[in-house]
Amino acid sequence: MKLQRRYDQASCRLQVEGLPDVSAGQSSQAIGIITGWQLQLAARPELEGRKEHLIAMAEAVLPYARHLISGVRRPFGGPEAPVSIAPFEVEHEADAERRRQGHELTLRSSQPDTPPLTLRIDDAELADLVRCLDRLRLDPLLQVPLQLPEPQPLRAKELQARLPLHRRLAAPVGGALALGLLAGLSWFLPTPAPQRAGQATQTAPPTKLAPSR
Amino acid sequence: MAQAPAAAPVDPSAPEAERSHRPPTRLSRRGLERLDLLLLSVEALDLNGGEAMVWMSEQLGFSSLFPDRVALWKSRCHNPLRRVTRRGTLSEQETDALIRILCTLADRLYPMLHQLLSSSEPEDRNDQRWGLFQGRLAELVQERMNPRRSSVQRLVDPALERSVLRTLIQCLALGAGDGGFDRLKASLMDAN
Repeated sequence: MKLQRRYDQASCRLQVEGLPDVSAGQSSQAIGIITGWQLQLAARPELEGRKEHLIAMAEAVLPYARHLISGVRRPFGGPEAPVSIAPFEVEHEADAERRRQGHELTLRSSQPDTPPLTLRIDDAELADLVRCLDRLRLDPLLQVPLQLPEPQPLRAKELQARLPLHRRLAAPVGGALALGLLAGLSWFLPTPAPQRAGQATQTAPPTKLAPSR
Repeated sequence: MAQAPAAAPVDPSAPEAERSHRPPTRLSRRGLERLDLLLLSVEALDLNGGEAMVWMSEQLGFSSLFPDRVALWKSRCHNPLRRVTRRGTLSEQETDALIRILCTLADRLYPMLHQLLSSSEPEDRNDQRWGLFQGRLAELVQERMNPRRSSVQRLVDPALERSVLRTLIQCLALGAGDGGFDRLKASLMDAN
């Protein structure tokens, strides 16, 4: 008998279908084999796929959220991956100076001649999707090894992307310019006049040693 | 609630590459600042946030770590940006407990976080919500943080960029709940 698990959020619903893996000694209420899943995002077409696609989505979205929480906006999932996610930015309709940020989720079908589907979601929808995937990951009744990597602290090199290049270069370039300016100014300092060979130099008179008695 | 095991001592004989890959077990100065600022953001979102924090600490079984509100306040005073700051660092158990309290409070406030982040909310109403949050956060920062620090001055500046506030709210939304704990903890342990 097919089992269903549903994870609901305000703008997102993830539903997983599967069967218990009796050969592994799982209970009849637990899902051990995923046969399919559906994802419904508000006012967007419904997505569905196999277990591999669900894992690919979790592998792209969860590390993306992990980096986002540290302020690093970088894409995950390459152009060949079944699921990829990347940040995007568009100008605000009313105010050109304000920019609206969002996330572009791209799903590529394994069926030939099917163009990839791109969904643009905002921060709230991304948070909903991440919460659904978290609940799926931590669900004790979903006993499928998803093998997702644990979140790790980011290294200094990874955090460099937080600051734009011109701000990262500001300090070293400013330092180099100041050094160059000081070196240039030092050329204008008058050099001491060379001493003539015949000019007597004032030196301390030689110390006379007291005669020994 | 099960407590995290004590931090394993670093083996000095381990190879350098292996040691450098091992995640740190204690929060850095920057991590402490961020953790306290996120807790302050929760207080700015929820007028009763301070009380909720004490209540949540008891509910989650952290009474041995924080027996009263003073102990909880003292642990937050390890933030070097505070007006009254304490020396030393938090233990791993205390850090985990504070992050767990933050994640649970963020989970409770999630509908509010969702509203603030959503682009489908009416814009003028959302602007009012953001304004209210910014005002309350600035008040709390002025009350508790050292005003001579430049990062504190930046937070109370009325011309503070919306993106800074948005990063805080996004951090709370992505760190809310049980699933957010590992993510938020890893983020607070980032190299600086």
